[in-house]
Amino acid sequence: MSGTAGRRLALVVLQNAPLIAFVVVLVIFASLSDRFLTLGNFTNIVTQSSHIAIMAIGITFVLLTAGIDLSVGAVMYVGVAILALYLGDLPVVVSFPLVALIGLALGAVNGFFVVQMRGLHPFIITLAMLFILRGAALWMTDTRMVFVAEPIMSLGRTSYLGVPWAIWMFAAVFALAWIVLRETPFGRQVYAVGQDPVAAGKAGINVPLVLFAVYCICGLCAALGGLVSIAQVAAASSTFGFQKEFPVIAAAVLGGTSLFGGRGGVIGTVFGAILIQTVENGLVMTNANPYIYPLVTATIIFLAVLIDSQRTRILEAMGRRKIRVEEA
Amino acid sequence: MLRTAGASGNAATRTAGGVRTRGWLERLILSEYLVFYLTTAYFLAVWPIVPEIATASSLSNMLTDMLPLLVVAIGQTFVLIVAGIDLSVTSIIAFASVVGASVMTADGGYLGGSPLAVPAGILTFLLIGGLIGWFNGFCCTRLGMPPIIVTLTGLMFLSGTAIWYTTGHSETSSIAGLPKAFVLIGQGSAYGVPNALWVALVVGISAHLLLGHTVFGRWLYAIGINRKAAEISGVPVGTAILWTFVISGVCAAIASILFTGRLETGTPVLGQRILLDIIAAVVIGGTSLAGGKGKIVWTVGGVLFLVVIDTSLKLLGMSLFVVFAVKGGVILFAAIIDAMRQRIIMRG
Amino acid sequence: MAAEILRLDGLSKSFFGVEVLHAVSFALHRGEILGLVGENGSGKSTTMNILGGIHQADAGSITLDGRPYRPTGPRDAQEAGLAFIHQELNLFENLSIEENIFISGFPRRLGRLPLIDRRRIGQRTRELLDMVDVRYPPATPVGKLSQGERQLVEIAKALSQDARIILLDEPTTSLTRRETEKLFTIMERLRAQGIALIYISHILGDVLRVCDTIQVLRDGHLVGGGPRDEMPIDTLISLMVGRKIENLFPPRDTEPTTVPALEVEGITQSGVVRDVSFTLHEGEVLGVAGLMGAGRSELARILFGLDPFEAGRIAVGDTTLTEVSPEACMRHGMAFLTEDRRGEGLMMEATIADNTALPSLRAYARSLTGWIARSRLEDDVAEVSRRVQINTTDYRGMLVKNLSGGNQQKVVIGKWLLRQPKVFILDEPTRGIDVGAKFEVYKIVNQLVAEGTAVLFISSEMEELIGMCDRILVMSHGEITGIHERHEFDSERILETAMLKNLADVA
Repeated sequence: MSGTAGRRLALVVLQNAPLIAFVVVLVIFASLSDRFLTLGNFTNIVTQSSHIAIMAIGITFVLLTAGIDLSVGAVMYVGVAILALYLGDLPVVVSFPLVALIGLALGAVNGFFVVQMRGLHPFIITLAMLFILRGAALWMTDTRMVFVAEPIMSLGRTSYLGVPWAIWMFAAVFALAWIVLRETPFGRQVYAVGQDPVAAGKAGINVPLVLFAVYCICGLCAALGGLVSIAQVAAASSTFGFQKEFPVIAAAVLGGTSLFGGRGGVIGTVFGAILIQTVENGLVMTNANPYIYPLVTATIIFLAVLIDSQRTRILEAMGRRKIRVEEA
Repeated sequence: MLRTAGASGNAATRTAGGVRTRGWLERLILSEYLVFYLTTAYFLAVWPIVPEIATASSLSNMLTDMLPLLVVAIGQTFVLIVAGIDLSVTSIIAFASVVGASVMTADGGYLGGSPLAVPAGILTFLLIGGLIGWFNGFCCTRLGMPPIIVTLTGLMFLSGTAIWYTTGHSETSSIAGLPKAFVLIGQGSAYGVPNALWVALVVGISAHLLLGHTVFGRWLYAIGINRKAAEISGVPVGTAILWTFVISGVCAAIASILFTGRLETGTPVLGQRILLDIIAAVVIGGTSLAGGKGKIVWTVGGVLFLVVIDTSLKLLGMSLFVVFAVKGGVILFAAIIDAMRQRIIMRG
Repeated sequence: MAAEILRLDGLSKSFFGVEVLHAVSFALHRGEILGLVGENGSGKSTTMNILGGIHQADAGSITLDGRPYRPTGPRDAQEAGLAFIHQELNLFENLSIEENIFISGFPRRLGRLPLIDRRRIGQRTRELLDMVDVRYPPATPVGKLSQGERQLVEIAKALSQDARIILLDEPTTSLTRRETEKLFTIMERLRAQGIALIYISHILGDVLRVCDTIQVLRDGHLVGGGPRDEMPIDTLISLMVGRKIENLFPPRDTEPTTVPALEVEGITQSGVVRDVSFTLHEGEVLGVAGLMGAGRSELARILFGLDPFEAGRIAVGDTTLTEVSPEACMRHGMAFLTEDRRGEGLMMEATIADNTALPSLRAYARSLTGWIARSRLEDDVAEVSRRVQINTTDYRGMLVKNLSGGNQQKVVIGKWLLRQPKVFILDEPTRGIDVGAKFEVYKIVNQLVAEGTAVLFISSEMEELIGMCDRILVMSHGEITGIHERHEFDSERILETAMLKNLADVA
């Protein structure tokens, strides 16, 4: 069947598009700048992408259930604002987990509404939360820049075994998420719910609980991302975390997580985050006009979603039940 | 226009199990004019606290604030009726503003100083709105992409482009020096009525007629209610949806003309803060996010509600950020009411 | 025969006053494969749903292992040891076989840690897969399996839940011959282990191959049954289609013409239909018979421009259709009443008037943005609604969802009549409507053909086809397997033709 063969080929291309894109990007920037392909530069890239990667890992859980969370940037800001304004005197081992918990709690609010108001799309709920939280954070900080204490700033500069702290955090979150998604019952149920929530319910899975939990995780990761970010930049202006949801979602979608649920994983997400950061890094290295950065990011997101939609369409067409089964 | 569930005509229904009489609360929630009741109630509630709100100048200010917002919201109503959404409108406003201004401006505009400046400028605004709207619609209908993401990336892309464009055309962060004739559109009045109000009236009435009395309008409601049934009944679903995005883009462009005229400059941050307001206004007016329901009158009510809240909070001396947060709450509230309506209708 | 495990006694069930099951009684024994056959609407699904706890019987009782069995939901059924393999499989394609089997109860490492004990589930899955003879490693994603293999995985899942009774609903409609054979082998193996199976299917050839006992349902009644050897094909078929009490069809006064209204040549779409050709004449009622899943509705969708086709030609009158869209077909005078009234035929949340007007709106305005001639439209809507005899006159206020099934169907017919179509495709037009409304629909069809309209009448009710049609086409597996002329109408012959492909090995 030429139809099906053509479709299968398209599917293969679409599923490997991120990898192909990565190679293309490397080639382009390497040819434009000789400082690009160095170990130091790559360490830079991974360090800078850590906070996005952590948040993207969190949002991967939500996307796997075909949901979305637009409030991650605002959660980031709220966590950091509270840290800088009220928790400055506490030692890092206390303040950091507290902020993480705050993120978890905010995610829980999202999760609560998503589960209770099934008719509402998570998009609207998290959009409202975005504004409420952003407003709250701006009120707390009075739109002024906030600074974190020295211990946190030095943490951002520390390296253990030659690897920057940020990358350790990133690796830890990644490892944990990977284990949860692949080797725990909960993780597998997340995939089941995203694939077919009705069948999941019939199979005895507690669908509301799964949905609630993924938003909690997303909030937690958003707060962690904020911590990693503030440790690196030391100060948060009123635009901290602003519009961060875009590169975060883009990272996940680019890495193969589908907006329609059921497909994807944290490995791909991490890859997507690094790819986006590589592009930004390349743009800086090649002295590109800074005004085009948001344009490039937006284009990447667009292409990622375009690929995802075409992938989904082909898979759907292939999955339709046949009347005539051609005997093999 | 299609009489849909939730319209006050529901009393005519009879089910096999008999009529379910509704409590007054249910009827209130389902009422078409809920938003007007809410606005009136709220207005009366804050009046004693901030009596300045009822002065002539305050009321006329509210009107001026309302109008450009209303025009954009009208465009958004079309998209919501077919169960889509257009988040790129505020960036369309910004982008159209700077490009249009660059055509007309006296300091080195493309047609600066020429008698064609203003018409060409206006045409530029409208073309930009239409083309971007077309692109949004194309991605959503022919490429099968979700409207949320398409318009979200549009938002990001256009806002960045607008800023970049401005740097290429001006030393400052905006483009001034706009011709008098253009500015008059946003600021002047004819026969005692502000020009902006004329524009809004024309847009509003045209939209109302289009939705309520034309084939196209009926098709939109059909698509929103049951897309498959509409397709089988011969409605060109993809094309119709595409046109709603074009309409939304053009409305955004018209609003941009009003804003830009009022500010007398083209600026890339125009409209940045009102995205939330637009969606909140349309939804709290009664248009459903799920599609199939919506009226221009409702949107007017929603915009009115939002502007009243906005003004009252300002007069109460609340900081801008409280307003921000309150509006987020309003959206949530509006969405909850929508969900409650659906549930009430489902039950009987 | 071994011990009795399940007994249905006088089971009755009604929905909205329409009786769908009447005093159904039969018994199932351990190690028995029981076949449940009947046409569409005979009550097979209802019986299944009652056993599965989705519906509760109005009267009668079920005994499981000597104890009363009254499930209130799927959970109860599962705990009691019943497993259902539905036509739509409940598997997650993005998970592996072992994960699918254990999705709601993974054994944990060290018992308490939240980590899946891969070794245990792998081992157990391999055991289960051996029982159903599936040779994939347990970690294979289900998406990679063929339909037949997935079905066997569902059976493995049932076994993992210690099912003692497995019910299979139309399991072979999408399987190849080889996969079907394999399924039967596994079923026989399970039988040998003492598990009881209920096999619901309309494919008589398969039923006769694999079942020990066969029960026949018709119109909600159990009309006969017994050991396989006592139920040859002819007996089965005549039990399935036997004389019905209500046999009322309005008289036909007119004859079909020989003027072609719709010509279909060689329509092919891989996986759906193959080489379908026929001519429909003006004034003719051409029936399309076939079993569920034969491809009749799919063919109708292709004819109406909703789905594409790879080869062939469709012509309305003299004009070959070049565009594939409902709008183009409508422009050439076609109309299509779909089988899914609620999902595709009507806007439930809209009024009668709005539904009726929708396909014809263009004719009432000079342009898409022009003013609709409201009063003329309303008059015409009222006229056509009166013609189809909808039992209310509040066309502009009454929402369609509040009408009875029969009246809803009349609204659908009315909306198409407003266009005065030349070719009218009807897909199960009397499904789910009461006897009185059915008669009215038949009268409308007769009026239409008397005026020269051509009607393509797709139906699963043999009596209806015989009572209404001039000719009957029979489809099976996407192909036309026979044409019957009015003077030689014989329901048993027609049903045989519908099962042609599946009787090949038995006959």
